[in-house]
Amino acid sequence: MRLKKCILILSVSLCASGLRAQETNEVVQLKEQMQQMQKGFEKREQDMETRFEKKIAAQDAVIESLKEKLAFMPTNPPPPSVAIVPPAETVTPEKLKELNEKVDSVVEAQKKTLMSEFNPAIGLVGETVFGYRSKGSDQTGSDRPGGFDIWQRSVELNVAASVDPFAKGWVVANASADSATGEASFGIEEAALQTTSLPGNVSLTAGRFFGEFGRLSNIHDHELPFVNRPLALDQFIGGESRTDGLQLNWLPPIDHYVSLTLGVGDQLGGDSPKNNPGTYRAFNELNVWGRVSTYFDLTPNWQLEAGVSGLLNPQTQDRGGVLVQPNGSTQTERARRLAGVDMKVSYVPLANNQFRSFTWGTEVLFSDNRYLFDPNGSLNPANATPGLDGDEFTGNVGSLGLYSYVNYKWSRQWSAGFLFDWVQNAQNHSDETFAYSPFITFALSHWNQLRLQYTRTEPSSISGMKPDDAIYLQWAWIIGAHSHGWQQR
Amino acid sequence: MKLKLFFVTFITLLCAAQVHAAKIRVVATLTDLADITRNVGGENVEVFSLATGIEDTHGVPMKPSFVPKMNQADLLVLVGFGCEHAFLPALLEASKNPRIQYGKAGYVDCSAGIAPLEVPKSTDHSEGDVHPYGNPHYMLDPVLAKTAVQNIYNALVAIAPEHEADFTRNRDAYLAKLDAKIAEWQEALKPLKGAKFVSYHEHWPYFAKRFGLEYFGTIELKPGVDPTPHHITELVATMKAEHVPIVVREPQFPEKVPTLIAKQAGATLIKLPIMPGGVPNTDTYIEMMDYIVHTLAGTVSK
Repeated sequence: MRLKKCILILSVSLCASGLRAQETNEVVQLKEQMQQMQKGFEKREQDMETRFEKKIAAQDAVIESLKEKLAFMPTNPPPPSVAIVPPAETVTPEKLKELNEKVDSVVEAQKKTLMSEFNPAIGLVGETVFGYRSKGSDQTGSDRPGGFDIWQRSVELNVAASVDPFAKGWVVANASADSATGEASFGIEEAALQTTSLPGNVSLTAGRFFGEFGRLSNIHDHELPFVNRPLALDQFIGGESRTDGLQLNWLPPIDHYVSLTLGVGDQLGGDSPKNNPGTYRAFNELNVWGRVSTYFDLTPNWQLEAGVSGLLNPQTQDRGGVLVQPNGSTQTERARRLAGVDMKVSYVPLANNQFRSFTWGTEVLFSDNRYLFDPNGSLNPANATPGLDGDEFTGNVGSLGLYSYVNYKWSRQWSAGFLFDWVQNAQNHSDETFAYSPFITFALSHWNQLRLQYTRTEPSSISGMKPDDAIYLQWAWIIGAHSHGWQQR
Repeated sequence: MKLKLFFVTFITLLCAAQVHAAKIRVVATLTDLADITRNVGGENVEVFSLATGIEDTHGVPMKPSFVPKMNQADLLVLVGFGCEHAFLPALLEASKNPRIQYGKAGYVDCSAGIAPLEVPKSTDHSEGDVHPYGNPHYMLDPVLAKTAVQNIYNALVAIAPEHEADFTRNRDAYLAKLDAKIAEWQEALKPLKGAKFVSYHEHWPYFAKRFGLEYFGTIELKPGVDPTPHHITELVATMKAEHVPIVVREPQFPEKVPTLIAKQAGATLIKLPIMPGGVPNTDTYIEMMDYIVHTLAGTVSK
């Protein structure tokens, strides 16, 4: 019985081990197959990589050889008979890399220039003025309201380019928010053409532009060293010296800098009314102006610029209409005459003028307009039947005005200064206004600038206006192309 | 007798004027180009430089006294790549000299034939006062300066072919001198191979590439934009981490911030000119490069 049991156990064990052995063989076979397959895959992968690398290397070689040929290729291809001699020196990978970088940077640079071919330079200037004035406009005479005032003073689009080999042209379009409605009125401030190749050191400007009169009348608001245009320029010129006209500038061929300008236009002054906009305008009803300016290097770091300007409009018919005075009498302009002397002393250190500079600028203006006086106000258009009644007479009013400012820059970002204003009314020299304006400027960058200014304005009592305190924060920014012309230097 | 004396004086003066008039009148924007023009032009040129050497290459003051010089010039020699964009266009406009206007034979752009570095991917002011055509400070690489020499030579030959032999002789002599110096400078700067440095403005990429230095960054936030406190802190931290041993201050920039950065980062502060005349005894291009190389090499022994 025991033997039988032993034989039975043995046979069962043998069968089991046989089965296990059979299973082990199958696993080993499977493993071997898998290993072979893996080897096969790896080999194929290696082959593919090698082939791919070879292909890439071949393509690289072709690209390099083409680039090399391109680099040595003359602008005009040589005649077929001339063989291209390969460079004698050995081409190393470093040299190839350097050549690649050169080709890439030239191609990159060309992309930049070709893209803008024939397109004009375009720039946009924005200027917002946050203000507070202690008196209302009825007491200041300003076109801006009293109290808090946020004013988008200008959005100015500048476009400029060469017209042809003989002239350049530019347009400045400006949108400014109206004080009453808040709506932006879009206007063309400048649209002019200037010759660039006339012989005899002469250039001619035609169209709408800022005529060259004095120091600061021919630059835009945002380029002023303070927030507002000086009172004398507002009073006698009418803000910016805008004109529709023709201007000739001559640089005498001498070793010392002298510039002479002569212009003629139907007006001078952006806010100045046109003369005789009726049916016929004689030549003597046009504005004629001239300017002579010069310059001296006082030392390598100190400079002096000086100029004399004159404006004549021999006959004005109803420029600005009939001006009613506070006492009820009227004045009607018959001739416009204006003279100015200006100078600027600057400290512009050669070494670090971006970080330090000082400017003192002054301009004195003398207006000697001729008026038709009407003491009893019979010409006042508000009367039922306005007209001459015999008491009228003509005479001149001589009025003076000046502004003087200093500006000190002590870092690339910070500068501060003071502006003094004094002006007599062009129609009545007894009516004087004084203004005092300290200001500080923070230029975050060349294209982004903040300016804080306080202005105390003191008009004389005969004007009927009240002294006023105002604070302004001006924020001006520029996007796109922006270059300083000779006049804005 | 008096009449005879008068005539002799008059004719002498006339001859002197003729001799004076025979010279080619050249206005160069910067002092390195003026020096090279004098070397190539020799006795046949009368050169006036708008810059004296201590100015910022982008900020030469627009003095009206430059206008008559430019008005009478036969050639205007400039760096190009927009280097003079802040002052040259207005001066050219005021000069009323058609001979030297852009595209004319008298407008000598020395960047012709030079492959620019750092051509910006976008010409946007968020990147500061970028130069759309690439970094314009190639004159600090003396090998590239040889291209400027050739451009000036070509312009002189074109305007006065009768003096070609003189110009060729002068050019060859100058290039030989420059080549010898280049070898000397490369040898002197070998110990600085791979050395990192920062500078105030991005003046040095061509120089660094030529002499194997590593240009680490600028003190300015962006070209033409002053550094912010955050930028200074970050720069000092990365300089410390990367062991940047040299801070370069160009003479036209203030000393305060570079000194602070050098002190905090444990680096050596050196003042290097960017054109001849920038520091004393660097009146010529070769003297300036000598000064730059030897000042830099001197930092190794410190």
